[in-house]
Amino acid sequence: METRSENEPEVDIKASEIKYVSYGGEHHLPLIMNLVDEELSEPYSIFTYRYFVYLWPQLSFMAFHKGKCIGTVVCKMGDHRGTFRGYIAMLVVLKPYRGKGIATELVTRSIKVMMESGCEEVTLEAEVTNKGALALYGRLGFIRAKRLFRYYLNGVDAFRLKLLFPRVEPQPLNSMADAGDESFEYKEHTHCGENPPCCQHNM
Amino acid sequence: MADVSEAEGDREVPICPSIPSGEQTVWADASSVLQLACNDLRDGELIHAENFNLFAAMSALEIMDPKMDSGMVRTYYSVDEAIEYGAAPIPLSFDKTVDVQRVIDIMDHLLACEATWHKGCSLAQTVFSCLYLLRPDRTSSHALLHSYCRVMRATCNAVVCTVSDTRTNEEEDLFTMTHGLPLKVDGDDKCLTMLHAVEETIARQLRACKATLSKKRVTEDIEPLQNNPDMEEGFCKSLLCRLRFRKHFYHVVTNMKRPQGRGLELAKKHIACCFEELESMIKSAEFLKSINAPGTLEDGMNNETTASGCQPVGFDSTLNSRLSAPTPPRAIETISWKKAAEYFQKLLHELDIICSYSLDPVFEGVLRFVVEFQKFQPELVARAHLQHLLVQDGKLYGRDSVFAVICKASLLPEVAKNHDIQKNETVVQLGQLLITLLRVLCTNISWQRRKLGKILQDWRIIHVQLELAFRKECGDISATSSNENICMKICRQILIWVEEQTYWIASRFLMLGFELDLYSTGEYCMVYWYMYIILIKLAERTHMRAMTSNEISKKKGKKKRDLVKDGGKDNQLPPAILFLQCHVYLAEGLTMMLAALRNERKIYLSTGPFNSEHERFVQHFELLLKACLPDQVSYYSFEETTAHACLSSLSMYNCFKETQRIAKELRSSFSNDSDKMAELRRIEQVAEHNSVALSLISRLGAVDASLKVQFEFSHHPFFASVVVKRS
Repeated sequence: METRSENEPEVDIKASEIKYVSYGGEHHLPLIMNLVDEELSEPYSIFTYRYFVYLWPQLSFMAFHKGKCIGTVVCKMGDHRGTFRGYIAMLVVLKPYRGKGIATELVTRSIKVMMESGCEEVTLEAEVTNKGALALYGRLGFIRAKRLFRYYLNGVDAFRLKLLFPRVEPQPLNSMADAGDESFEYKEHTHCGENPPCCQHNM
Repeated sequence: MADVSEAEGDREVPICPSIPSGEQTVWADASSVLQLACNDLRDGELIHAENFNLFAAMSALEIMDPKMDSGMVRTYYSVDEAIEYGAAPIPLSFDKTVDVQRVIDIMDHLLACEATWHKGCSLAQTVFSCLYLLRPDRTSSHALLHSYCRVMRATCNAVVCTVSDTRTNEEEDLFTMTHGLPLKVDGDDKCLTMLHAVEETIARQLRACKATLSKKRVTEDIEPLQNNPDMEEGFCKSLLCRLRFRKHFYHVVTNMKRPQGRGLELAKKHIACCFEELESMIKSAEFLKSINAPGTLEDGMNNETTASGCQPVGFDSTLNSRLSAPTPPRAIETISWKKAAEYFQKLLHELDIICSYSLDPVFEGVLRFVVEFQKFQPELVARAHLQHLLVQDGKLYGRDSVFAVICKASLLPEVAKNHDIQKNETVVQLGQLLITLLRVLCTNISWQRRKLGKILQDWRIIHVQLELAFRKECGDISATSSNENICMKICRQILIWVEEQTYWIASRFLMLGFELDLYSTGEYCMVYWYMYIILIKLAERTHMRAMTSNEISKKKGKKKRDLVKDGGKDNQLPPAILFLQCHVYLAEGLTMMLAALRNERKIYLSTGPFNSEHERFVQHFELLLKACLPDQVSYYSFEETTAHACLSSLSMYNCFKETQRIAKELRSSFSNDSDKMAELRRIEQVAEHNSVALSLISRLGAVDASLKVQFEFSHHPFFASVVVKRS
């Protein structure tokens, strides 16, 4: 798995030059697809992207530098065994732009929307060798909840990372949320389950 | 779309589906409908319908995209076509020397395929990528190849059976997928007879060639293996070790399958032979390489799948790709022959450990054996064989009834195991939990940890249920009196043991988190704290079990001998408890040291923008908290213990020094137990190291801000060594 390399040509940019844009429609789709195709090994069909960006456009963001799309995050959320859960499917920042907090900003924006939408937790999978992703999510408060044996088709294990939001004081209508940990039997070992195969994170 | 238009233009061709039409299904030519649909839809479009939503659309494969369309990248459409085009000739060459060379390459590539299969790829894409294996009858005219193919299939079949029977594979389900493969072929069960005959012939050829070389007269008139007399010896030897390896390996897997571990001794002998033959195979690489590329003996390329470095004839991994998995098959990478040989050495070593096992009747010993075995990170095949030995017919080793094992573990007298209480439904359930636990301990550690977390709840519940059931059976079991009956004793002891076992599972769950790298440094403090409280409970229960059992035997003893001189000894904890005590102190020491560092130097704090340490605590220990292990523990108990830790008071009460002292004392108690001695050494090392580090931090820490503190697992797999560095 690629991680940020120190030898990459540095791009001289200021934080203020990065513009973050929420997914705005089909015209953004090729930008996201190109980025992911370029940086991640797994093949996704256009329908995989559509599933995410059509159903949860508010959770997908892009980062632009001087008009060029240089990073993106694609997510979803929904009920998972009694828990309303957010899921980060893809996170990519072009190599020369890594290490500048762009990925953190992208993913933070998505997580905020998830939190405001009532998610109780956020999950994702990352390769155990992807130190960059693990450190980033660690800083954001994700824990490595479990290890998934040979999760990726290249034989590498994955960590399931989880971020639990502080519990909102129980409200009368909301008492159902107590089913907290029903996520345990999550069918993680097949790649044809709930999530598209091998969602990845390179930033 | 090429297929569609072809079919369109050639309508006369009858449809010959491999799946016949059924009562409610019929095959129809959909080409024209598809053609119309294709004209209407543009690239990247799909029909959206009620039963075909955006989620379903994700499963769509883009035809002719080599990454997605498994059918696209292929040389031949069928095995028959491949054979027709000469992809798997028999003989492999009319030149006998070339024929032998190619057979050796096939044997080597098959070994590489077999190892790749064991390491998680499908059988269809690895071993059964061999066209010769796929058409069993075709090889019959080639005795050497035929016998090798037979033993290969028989071995794979035996291994698949062991793994399927034990169901160790859980999430490694690709392993046992054999649908559509000729795995069980008539006559393969007699593979050894055939192999033996071929081996005999080659052994004779080798003897004849050696006799010729030493100018001795040859008594028999034997046709040489191949045409080149200079290479006769090398080829004979290369073939012999390969054939013999297969023979012995087949014996290993079949003997290890025998009930009650009866075949272990024999299997062990065959393992020793396998090692020898494997060694010879590795040595033969030099000869085999030299004939193909004379002068380049160094291992230039390490990813070759044959000892000779040549591409093998008769393999096509794309032919079977449709059989291989429920997901779109991907190109797989066959591991190198060298790596395969290393893998088999590792596997044989692990199987040897299993075969050398004494079938310990004491449950604690079984657990320790499995835990130690898992440290080698064994692959599925080794773990399946271990489980096969441990659990057969719902008994330990297929020999000891579960209730007898529980009685022994609970330190009950021999008579207890025949007591009628074993028929009680809840007691039967406990037995099932025990079997499940053994199975879980044989799975890969990622899966194992998740399962252990889950079964904790079951162990908690069974404890409550047992209490109720026992009360029904024997009345009040809490009171101990001298005239209590055996039923009461059984109940009380079993209850203590169940609790102890539950805490053991909890401690294994926590420790595996380190091996799986699930904890970040910022979380170590809470993890060690939790380990500390779990280990205390475990030690308490272990002690209690020993004490109550002593009471039972003492009462008995007193009756017999009237006098027992055990005065002062009762005050001293038994070695097994002191051993646990070492772990307790280490966990406590690390908790308090981390807490002090957090409090005073503000390092290793666990903070983030979206949640607090509290949420992380809840997530990490969710399953323990849910199972009330122990009762009334919460994040606040952790906070309370650690909030006021400071470096100055830590050096006064140094847990690490205490650990060192106990560990040293314990050496004499475990001098016959190499595993425990090794653990004691590790404990001592961590304790000594951390004791020094702690005093250094306490002395300099307050004044020297450049002091960096790190945690490494250099001495122990889950008790960190504290490393102090100046930045």
